[in-house]
Parts: sequence; structure tokens; C-alpha cells
Amino acid sequence: MSLISDKVLKEVTFYLGPAAERFLERQTKYHMDGLAFKDIERKHLKDLAYWLKVSGGLIIDKGKAEEMARKVENLH
Amino acid sequence: MVKWYNSIMTKLTVSFLILIVVISGMSFFYTYGETKTALKDTTQDELTSLASVIATQIDGDLLSTLKEGDENSPEFIKLRDQLYKIQESSDEILYVYTMRKIGDKVAYVVDAEYGIFDDDTSGINEIYETPSKEMFIGFDKPVSEKEFTYDEWGVVISGYAPVLNSKGETVGIVGIDMDSQKVIDRQNFIGNIIYIIILISVLIAGGFIAMFARSMIRDIHTLNATANKISMGDTGVNIDIKRNDEIGLLAESFGRMVASLKIMMMDPEDEDKQ
Repeated sequence: MSLISDKVLKEVTFYLGPAAERFLERQTKYHMDGLAFKDIERKHLKDLAYWLKVSGGLIIDKGKAEEMARKVENLH
Repeated sequence: MVKWYNSIMTKLTVSFLILIVVISGMSFFYTYGETKTALKDTTQDELTSLASVIATQIDGDLLSTLKEGDENSPEFIKLRDQLYKIQESSDEILYVYTMRKIGDKVAYVVDAEYGIFDDDTSGINEIYETPSKEMFIGFDKPVSEKEFTYDEWGVVISGYAPVLNSKGETVGIVGIDMDSQKVIDRQNFIGNIIYIIILISVLIAGGFIAMFARSMIRDIHTLNATANKISMGDTGVNIDIKRNDEIGLLAESFGRMVASLKIMMMDPEDEDKQ
């Protein structure tokens, strides 16, 4: 797992709990051309944040999903 | 559904109210006790000062000349009218009178009401049967009774001051009585004010506690209802509780758990759709 995917996982786990990794793998696989979550780089964060906002909003409160997406997008 | 008397809200509100009532009650009794003492001290000081002032206005030489049978003399009437005028000048004063020592006894000289009312007022040199220690001290210096005194004229608190003649010798005392009811009324007034303030404070505090408990319990109910739904297999729930306290943290953890459950329980077909 790359350093950035590690940071993303940590951030998303705060909102989605232990299933966060499964959720992130699903998002990158189905929405980001089959990309494996462990291989994401900084350039993918904007895209990933968008899908976190959309798909996350179906699982948790929309406001929380937007907050989660914003935090992921701002990761360095 | 939890019965109202088992509810945390009821327990919290009742506990805090009991606490407030106990603390307020203790404060009330302490403050009221202190205020009563302070009021009594103030009244005693007032009586002492008033007696001193009246004593300086009385002609001691004239007073010393009065003897039994002089009740209709111009000198007696002059002093009586002077005392009566003073007595009538204030609602607080019940009786004003002068006394002198006869041996080891104390006797009336001029009573402000003598000949004015039909009451059994005392004439010159009529012995006062139950003189107090303070009354004797009054021949030396201004003083007031420490407690209410009970005699045939009622329950009063009295102040005394020596009346001097032109040579500076003590020829008697002037006594003023204040009705005990006036002092009790003052004490009751202060007591009622304190009581009302505490009552209003308890009501306001009770209202705040009830509001606080209600808001907390409402969110706990929401969490409980959500947990209930999830326990019955319904994962289509969202937790919309935004608080910065421990319940907020609980809601956050709960939300995380629900999100994880939703992801884990998601049908593989749904996964493909996402």
C-alpha cells in the first residue's frame, strides 16, 4: 500500500469504519478504470474524492460524505 | 418504550431539582437567619439612637420636679404633649414614656398617652413591675433590649436613654417601644423576597435542566431507534445527530458502525452497480 493510499484509508475509516478499505477498493475498481486502491497516487485524489462524495452520500449523511471527500482531496 | 419514571430525563431533572432545592433551601435558611439577626441589630441601633435624640429634647429639670398628683399640671401636660408628638411622628414607634428610679425600683413619670386615651396608662411614680436589666443600664447610657419583652401592653422591643438635668445629672430615662409586629413584618418581608428569588431561580434552573435533558434524551432516542432498525436488518438508516459532546461522539461511532455494516451487507450485485 502506498503512503497516499494509507492516508486515504485512515481518513475514510474515520467515517466508514473497518469496511472502509473494501469501499475504497470498490470505488477505484469500478469508477477509476479498474485501478487498485493500493496503487492510487496524488493525481487520483480529485477523482476519488468525487466518488467518495457520490457513493459515500448513499451510505452516510451527505454532509459527512462531502466533508470526507474534501479531506481526502486535500491530502498531501 | 421506557416508562416516564424510569426515563433518564426524569431522573436527571428530578436529581438536579432536588440538588437545587436542597442547596437553595440551605442558602435560604442561612441567609434568612443572618438577615433576621442583622435586622434585629439594625432595629436595636435605631431604637438606641432614637431614644438618645428624644432624651436630649426633654427638659430634665422639669421632669425632676414632677411628683404624684401633678398629672394635670401644665408642666406635666407640656412634657406629655411633647412625648405624644414624638410618638405620633413615626409609625414605627408604639409608646414613648419617661421613667425614674425610686429606690431599687423603676417608676413611670410621664407617659405620652396619659389622659389622651382611656387605656390604663400609668401615672407619675407608678411602679413598673418587671424592669429589665437593660432598663437599669439605660440610666447610664443609651441601650436597647436584646430580645422582645412581654408585658401587659404587648410584645415590644424597647430602647432607653438617660435624661439629664441642667447640671448633667441623670434624672430619669426616656423609653421608646417598637411593636414586635413591625420587626417581624420587616423580617418576613426580607424572607419573602429571598423566598421569591430562590423560587424563580429554581424554576429557571429547572427549565434549563429540563431543556438540556430533553435535547440529550431526544438524541439518545434517535440512536436507540436507529439501532433498533439495524438490529431488524434495515440498513437504510442515516444518523443525523450533530453535537460536540459525548453523545455526539457516540453518534459518530455509531454512524461509523452503521456505514461499515451497510458496506459489508451490500449485495454483490449492488457492488457491481456502484
